[in-house]
Amino acid sequence: MESDTERIALGLRQKDVAVLEKLVEQYQYRLVRYLVSLLGRRDGVDDLVQETWLRILERGESYDGRSRFEPWLFRVARNIALDAMRKRPMFSLNSNEEDVVRSSPGSSEPSPYTLAARTQDAERLAHSLQALEPAFREALMLRFQEDLSLQEISAIVGAPVSTVASRIYRGLATLRPQFEGEPA
Amino acid sequence: MNLNFHESFQRMVDESLAGTISAEKQQSLREHLSTCVPCQEYLSASNRVIAGLSGFSFEVDPTLNAKVLAALRLQAQQVSSAQPRRLQLMRRHIVEYKVGAAFSVALLLSIVGSAFVYEVATLLLHFDTAQVRTDVLIFWLLPSFCATLCLLATPSEKRGIA
Repeated sequence: MESDTERIALGLRQKDVAVLEKLVEQYQYRLVRYLVSLLGRRDGVDDLVQETWLRILERGESYDGRSRFEPWLFRVARNIALDAMRKRPMFSLNSNEEDVVRSSPGSSEPSPYTLAARTQDAERLAHSLQALEPAFREALMLRFQEDLSLQEISAIVGAPVSTVASRIYRGLATLRPQFEGEPA
Repeated sequence: MNLNFHESFQRMVDESLAGTISAEKQQSLREHLSTCVPCQEYLSASNRVIAGLSGFSFEVDPTLNAKVLAALRLQAQQVSSAQPRRLQLMRRHIVEYKVGAAFSVALLLSIVGSAFVYEVATLLLHFDTAQVRTDVLIFWLLPSFCATLCLLATPSEKRGIA
Protein backbone atom coordinates (compact mmCIF):
# COMPACT_ATOMS: atom_id res chain seq x y z
CA MET A 1 0.00 0.00 0.00
CA GLU A 2 1.19 3.50 -0.80
CA SER A 3 2.27 5.55 2.20
CA ASP A 4 1.52 9.25 2.67
CA THR A 5 5.08 10.21 1.82
CA GLU A 6 5.01 8.10 -1.35
CA ARG A 7 1.76 9.79 -2.37
CA ILE A 8 3.38 13.18 -1.79
CA ALA A 9 6.44 12.16 -3.80
CA LEU A 10 4.25 10.95 -6.68
CA GLY A 11 2.20 14.16 -6.62
CA LEU A 12 5.35 16.28 -6.66
CA ARG A 13 6.82 14.29 -9.54
CA GLN A 14 3.63 14.84 -11.52
CA LYS A 15 3.56 18.50 -10.49
CA ASP A 16 0.06 17.93 -9.17
CA VAL A 17 -1.21 21.29 -7.91
CA ALA A 18 -3.92 19.63 -5.80
CA VAL A 19 -1.24 17.78 -3.82
CA LEU A 20 0.72 21.00 -3.38
CA GLU A 21 -2.39 22.84 -2.20
CA LYS A 22 -2.86 20.24 0.54
CA LEU A 23 0.79 20.52 1.53
CA VAL A 24 0.54 24.31 1.71
CA GLU A 25 -2.52 24.02 3.96
CA GLN A 26 -0.81 21.45 6.15
CA TYR A 27 2.70 22.87 6.48
CA GLN A 28 2.41 26.61 5.91
CA TYR A 29 2.42 27.57 9.58
CA ARG A 30 5.36 25.33 10.43
CA LEU A 31 7.28 26.69 7.47
CA VAL A 32 6.72 30.28 8.63
CA ARG A 33 7.72 29.31 12.18
CA TYR A 34 10.89 27.59 11.02
CA LEU A 35 11.96 30.52 8.84
CA VAL A 36 11.38 32.95 11.72
CA SER A 37 13.59 30.74 13.94
CA LEU A 38 16.22 30.62 11.26
CA LEU A 39 16.28 34.34 10.52
CA GLY A 40 15.30 35.72 13.90
CA ARG A 41 12.98 38.14 12.18
CA ARG A 42 9.48 38.19 10.74
CA ASP A 43 9.81 40.55 7.77
CA GLY A 44 10.78 38.98 4.48
CA VAL A 45 9.62 35.56 5.63
CA ASP A 46 6.43 35.56 3.52
CA ASP A 47 8.46 36.05 0.33
CA LEU A 48 10.72 33.17 1.28
CA VAL A 49 7.68 31.00 2.00
CA GLN A 50 6.29 31.66 -1.47
CA GLU A 51 9.68 31.06 -3.06
CA THR A 52 9.99 27.77 -1.19
CA TRP A 53 6.69 26.43 -2.51
CA LEU A 54 7.52 27.50 -6.04
CA ARG A 55 10.88 25.73 -5.76
CA ILE A 56 9.05 22.62 -4.55
CA LEU A 57 6.75 22.75 -7.58
CA GLU A 58 9.77 23.19 -9.83
CA ARG A 59 12.06 20.54 -8.32
CA GLY A 60 9.64 18.34 -6.42
CA GLU A 61 10.92 15.21 -8.16
CA SER A 62 13.98 15.29 -5.90
CA TYR A 63 11.81 14.25 -2.92
CA ASP A 64 11.90 10.44 -2.92
CA GLY A 65 9.12 9.79 -0.40
CA ARG A 66 11.28 7.47 1.71
CA SER A 67 11.64 9.92 4.59
CA ARG A 68 9.30 12.42 6.22
CA PHE A 69 8.27 15.41 4.15
CA GLU A 70 8.89 18.21 6.65
CA PRO A 71 12.68 17.81 7.00
CA TRP A 72 12.94 17.96 3.22
CA LEU A 73 10.66 21.02 3.14
CA PHE A 74 12.77 22.76 5.78
CA ARG A 75 15.96 21.96 3.92
CA VAL A 76 14.59 23.55 0.74
CA ALA A 77 13.44 26.58 2.73
CA ARG A 78 16.83 26.84 4.44
CA ASN A 79 18.69 26.83 1.12
CA ILE A 80 16.41 29.54 -0.23
CA ALA A 81 16.85 31.62 2.93
CA LEU A 82 20.63 31.27 2.74
CA ASP A 83 20.60 32.32 -0.92
CA ALA A 84 18.46 35.34 -0.03
CA MET A 85 20.83 36.26 2.78
CA ARG A 86 23.79 36.14 0.44
CA LYS A 87 22.00 38.50 -1.94
CA ARG A 88 20.45 40.92 0.55
CA PRO A 89 22.46 43.23 2.77
CA MET A 90 19.78 43.19 5.48
CA PHE A 91 21.04 39.74 6.45
CA SER A 92 24.58 38.54 6.82
CA LEU A 93 26.11 35.11 6.75
CA ASN A 94 29.02 33.74 8.67
CA SER A 95 30.50 31.31 6.18
CA ASN A 96 33.20 30.15 8.61
CA GLU A 97 30.81 28.07 10.61
CA GLU A 98 29.11 25.62 8.24
CA ASP A 99 26.66 28.09 6.82
CA VAL A 100 25.51 29.14 10.23
CA VAL A 101 22.92 31.81 9.90
CA ARG A 102 23.50 35.15 11.56
CA SER A 103 20.56 37.50 11.62
CA SER A 104 20.81 41.17 12.30
CA PRO A 105 17.41 42.69 12.99
CA GLY A 106 17.37 46.38 13.74
CA SER A 107 17.45 47.15 17.45
CA SER A 108 14.32 49.29 17.25
CA GLU A 109 12.21 46.48 15.79
CA PRO A 110 10.28 44.38 18.30
CA SER A 111 11.58 40.83 18.36
CA PRO A 112 9.30 38.31 16.62
CA TYR A 113 9.51 36.22 19.78
CA THR A 114 8.25 39.07 21.97
CA LEU A 115 5.28 39.46 19.65
CA ALA A 116 4.65 35.72 19.44
CA ALA A 117 5.02 34.79 23.13
CA ARG A 118 1.76 33.29 24.40
CA THR A 119 2.85 31.95 27.80
CA GLN A 120 4.77 33.42 30.73
CA ASP A 121 7.72 31.10 30.16
CA ALA A 122 7.77 32.08 26.48
CA GLU A 123 7.72 35.78 27.43
CA ARG A 124 10.72 35.21 29.68
CA LEU A 125 12.56 33.38 26.92
CA ALA A 126 11.74 35.84 24.14
CA HIS A 127 14.64 38.21 24.68
CA SER A 128 17.32 35.58 25.23
CA LEU A 129 16.04 33.54 22.32
CA GLN A 130 16.44 36.54 20.04
CA ALA A 131 19.98 37.07 21.32
CA LEU A 132 20.85 33.38 21.12
CA GLU A 133 23.39 32.17 18.56
CA PRO A 134 21.16 31.50 15.51
CA ALA A 135 22.55 28.00 14.96
CA PHE A 136 21.64 27.07 18.55
CA ARG A 137 18.19 28.62 18.19
CA GLU A 138 17.59 26.74 14.95
CA ALA A 139 18.64 23.43 16.50
CA LEU A 140 16.48 24.00 19.60
CA MET A 141 13.43 24.96 17.58
CA LEU A 142 13.77 22.03 15.20
CA ARG A 143 14.15 19.59 18.07
CA PHE A 144 11.58 20.88 20.55
CA GLN A 145 9.11 22.83 18.43
CA GLU A 146 9.10 20.77 15.25
CA ASP A 147 9.82 17.52 17.07
CA LEU A 148 12.45 16.34 14.60
CA SER A 149 15.09 13.74 15.36
CA LEU A 150 18.76 14.64 15.50
CA GLN A 151 19.33 12.77 12.24
CA GLU A 152 16.61 14.79 10.53
CA ILE A 153 18.02 18.06 11.88
CA SER A 154 21.47 17.00 10.76
CA ALA A 155 20.15 16.47 7.23
CA ILE A 156 18.48 19.89 7.23
CA VAL A 157 21.43 21.91 8.48
CA GLY A 158 24.11 19.83 6.76
CA ALA A 159 26.09 19.28 9.95
CA PRO A 160 27.03 16.05 11.77
CA VAL A 161 24.63 14.69 14.39
CA SER A 162 27.25 15.34 17.09
CA THR A 163 27.37 19.03 16.10
CA VAL A 164 23.59 19.27 16.21
CA ALA A 165 23.54 17.64 19.65
CA SER A 166 26.20 20.04 20.87
CA ARG A 167 24.18 23.02 19.60
CA ILE A 168 21.13 21.77 21.49
CA TYR A 169 23.09 21.30 24.73
CA ARG A 170 24.67 24.72 24.44
CA GLY A 171 21.36 26.37 23.55
CA LEU A 172 19.70 24.79 26.58
CA ALA A 173 22.64 25.82 28.75
CA THR A 174 22.21 29.44 27.64
CA LEU A 175 18.48 29.56 28.29
CA ARG A 176 18.28 27.39 31.42
CA PRO A 177 19.58 29.92 34.00
CA GLN A 178 16.36 31.90 33.61
CA PHE A 179 14.44 29.10 35.31
CA GLU A 180 17.02 27.84 37.77
CA GLY A 181 16.28 28.09 41.46
CA GLU A 182 12.55 28.32 40.86
CA PRO A 183 9.83 25.86 41.71
CA ALA A 184 8.65 23.85 38.74
CA MET B 1 28.80 13.89 45.91
CA ASN B 2 31.18 16.16 44.04
CA LEU B 3 30.36 18.60 41.23
CA ASN B 4 31.61 16.35 38.45
CA PHE B 5 29.32 13.61 39.63
CA HIS B 6 26.28 15.89 39.19
CA GLU B 7 27.60 17.27 35.94
CA SER B 8 27.78 13.82 34.43
CA PHE B 9 24.10 13.23 35.28
CA GLN B 10 23.15 16.68 34.08
CA ARG B 11 24.84 15.85 30.83
CA MET B 12 22.65 12.75 30.72
CA VAL B 13 19.60 14.97 31.23
CA ASP B 14 20.64 16.96 28.14
CA GLU B 15 21.19 13.77 26.19
CA SER B 16 17.82 12.45 27.30
CA LEU B 17 16.06 15.65 26.15
CA ALA B 18 17.92 15.70 22.85
CA GLY B 19 17.04 12.03 22.30
CA THR B 20 20.59 10.72 22.16
CA ILE B 21 20.77 8.81 25.44
CA SER B 22 21.16 5.02 25.57
CA ALA B 23 18.61 2.86 27.44
CA GLU B 24 21.25 1.93 29.97
CA LYS B 25 22.14 5.53 30.77
CA GLN B 26 18.46 6.45 30.88
CA GLN B 27 17.87 3.87 33.58
CA SER B 28 20.86 5.09 35.55
CA LEU B 29 19.63 8.69 35.22
CA ARG B 30 16.15 7.75 36.41
CA GLU B 31 17.58 6.14 39.51
CA HIS B 32 19.80 9.12 40.22
CA LEU B 33 17.00 11.63 39.73
CA SER B 34 14.81 9.91 42.28
CA THR B 35 17.25 10.91 45.03
CA CYS B 36 19.17 13.96 43.78
CA VAL B 37 17.53 17.37 44.30
CA PRO B 38 20.07 19.50 42.32
CA CYS B 39 19.67 17.26 39.27
CA GLN B 40 15.88 17.31 39.64
CA GLU B 41 16.06 21.11 39.59
CA TYR B 42 18.29 20.96 36.55
CA LEU B 43 15.77 18.76 34.75
CA SER B 44 12.90 20.97 35.85
CA ALA B 45 14.61 24.13 34.54
CA SER B 46 15.37 22.35 31.25
CA ASN B 47 11.74 21.28 30.93
CA ARG B 48 10.63 24.86 31.54
CA VAL B 49 12.89 25.98 28.66
CA ILE B 50 11.36 23.36 26.38
CA ALA B 51 7.84 24.30 27.45
CA GLY B 52 8.71 27.95 26.87
CA LEU B 53 9.92 27.17 23.34
CA SER B 54 6.49 25.74 22.56
CA GLY B 55 4.78 28.86 23.89
CA PHE B 56 5.27 30.96 20.77
CA SER B 57 2.53 31.39 18.24
CA PHE B 58 3.41 33.38 15.16
CA GLU B 59 0.74 35.23 13.26
CA VAL B 60 0.49 34.30 9.62
CA ASP B 61 -0.86 36.77 7.10
CA PRO B 62 -4.35 35.37 6.32
CA THR B 63 -3.86 36.17 2.64
CA LEU B 64 -0.51 34.35 2.43
CA ASN B 65 -2.01 30.95 1.58
CA ALA B 66 -4.14 32.46 -1.18
CA LYS B 67 -1.12 34.30 -2.62
CA VAL B 68 1.03 31.18 -2.54
CA LEU B 69 -1.68 29.04 -4.14
CA ALA B 70 -2.27 31.62 -6.89
CA ALA B 71 1.48 31.74 -7.63
CA LEU B 72 1.63 27.93 -7.70
CA ARG B 73 -1.31 27.64 -10.10
CA LEU B 74 0.17 30.25 -12.41
CA GLN B 75 3.56 28.55 -12.39
CA ALA B 76 1.97 25.13 -12.98
CA GLN B 77 -0.01 26.52 -15.93
CA GLN B 78 3.13 27.99 -17.45
CA VAL B 79 4.97 24.72 -16.98
CA SER B 80 2.15 22.62 -18.48
CA SER B 81 1.70 24.92 -21.51
CA ALA B 82 5.45 25.02 -22.13
CA GLN B 83 5.79 21.24 -21.90
CA PRO B 84 3.77 20.14 -25.00
CA ARG B 85 5.48 22.83 -27.09
CA ARG B 86 8.85 21.60 -25.96
CA LEU B 87 7.87 17.99 -26.61
CA GLN B 88 6.51 18.86 -30.06
CA LEU B 89 9.74 20.66 -30.96
CA MET B 90 11.81 17.79 -29.63
CA ARG B 91 9.76 15.24 -31.62
CA ARG B 92 10.08 17.30 -34.79
CA HIS B 93 13.83 17.54 -34.37
CA ILE B 94 14.09 13.79 -33.90
CA VAL B 95 12.02 13.11 -37.05
CA GLU B 96 14.05 15.58 -39.10
CA TYR B 97 17.24 14.00 -37.86
CA LYS B 98 16.00 10.50 -38.79
CA VAL B 99 14.83 11.58 -42.24
CA GLY B 100 18.10 13.39 -42.87
CA ALA B 101 20.07 10.35 -41.78
CA ALA B 102 18.00 8.05 -44.03
CA PHE B 103 18.56 10.25 -47.09
CA SER B 104 22.26 10.57 -46.35
CA VAL B 105 22.54 6.80 -46.22
CA ALA B 106 20.52 6.48 -49.45
CA LEU B 107 22.77 9.01 -51.19
CA LEU B 108 25.89 7.26 -49.98
CA LEU B 109 24.58 3.89 -51.16
CA SER B 110 23.68 5.29 -54.57
CA ILE B 111 27.21 6.74 -54.94
CA VAL B 112 28.78 3.48 -53.85
CA GLY B 113 26.38 1.53 -56.13
CA SER B 114 27.22 3.76 -59.07
CA ALA B 115 30.92 3.26 -58.48
CA PHE B 116 30.37 -0.47 -58.23
CA VAL B 117 28.34 -0.65 -61.47
CA TYR B 118 30.93 1.51 -63.20
CA GLU B 119 33.76 -0.76 -62.07
CA VAL B 120 31.91 -3.95 -63.09
CA ALA B 121 30.88 -2.54 -66.46
CA THR B 122 34.31 -1.28 -67.39
CA LEU B 123 36.65 -3.85 -65.84
CA LEU B 124 34.72 -7.14 -66.02
CA LEU B 125 32.33 -6.63 -68.90
CA HIS B 126 34.70 -4.36 -70.88
CA PHE B 127 31.96 -1.88 -71.80
CA ASP B 128 32.89 1.45 -73.30
CA THR B 129 34.06 3.61 -70.37
CA ALA B 130 32.66 6.93 -71.53
CA GLN B 131 29.28 5.35 -72.33
CA VAL B 132 29.05 3.65 -68.90
CA ARG B 133 30.06 6.86 -67.11
CA THR B 134 27.38 8.84 -68.93
CA ASP B 135 24.73 6.17 -68.33
CA VAL B 136 25.51 5.91 -64.64
CA LEU B 137 25.44 9.67 -64.30
CA ILE B 138 22.22 10.18 -66.23
CA PHE B 139 20.15 7.17 -65.19
CA TRP B 140 21.30 6.51 -61.65
CA LEU B 141 23.41 9.03 -59.84
CA LEU B 142 21.85 12.27 -61.03
CA PRO B 143 18.17 11.32 -60.39
CA SER B 144 18.92 9.90 -56.96
CA PHE B 145 20.97 12.95 -56.04
CA CYS B 146 18.21 15.32 -57.22
CA ALA B 147 15.49 13.30 -55.47
CA THR B 148 17.47 13.39 -52.24
CA LEU B 149 17.96 17.14 -52.46
CA CYS B 150 14.25 17.69 -53.18
CA LEU B 151 13.16 15.50 -50.29
CA LEU B 152 15.58 17.14 -47.87
CA ALA B 153 14.31 20.58 -48.86
CA THR B 154 10.67 19.55 -48.23
CA PRO B 155 9.29 20.30 -44.71
CA SER B 156 8.89 17.14 -42.69
CA GLU B 157 5.08 17.59 -42.31
CA LYS B 158 4.71 17.41 -46.11
CA ARG B 159 6.61 14.18 -46.22
CA GLY B 160 3.74 12.73 -44.22
CA ILE B 161 6.03 11.84 -41.36
CA ALA B 162 5.58 14.38 -38.55
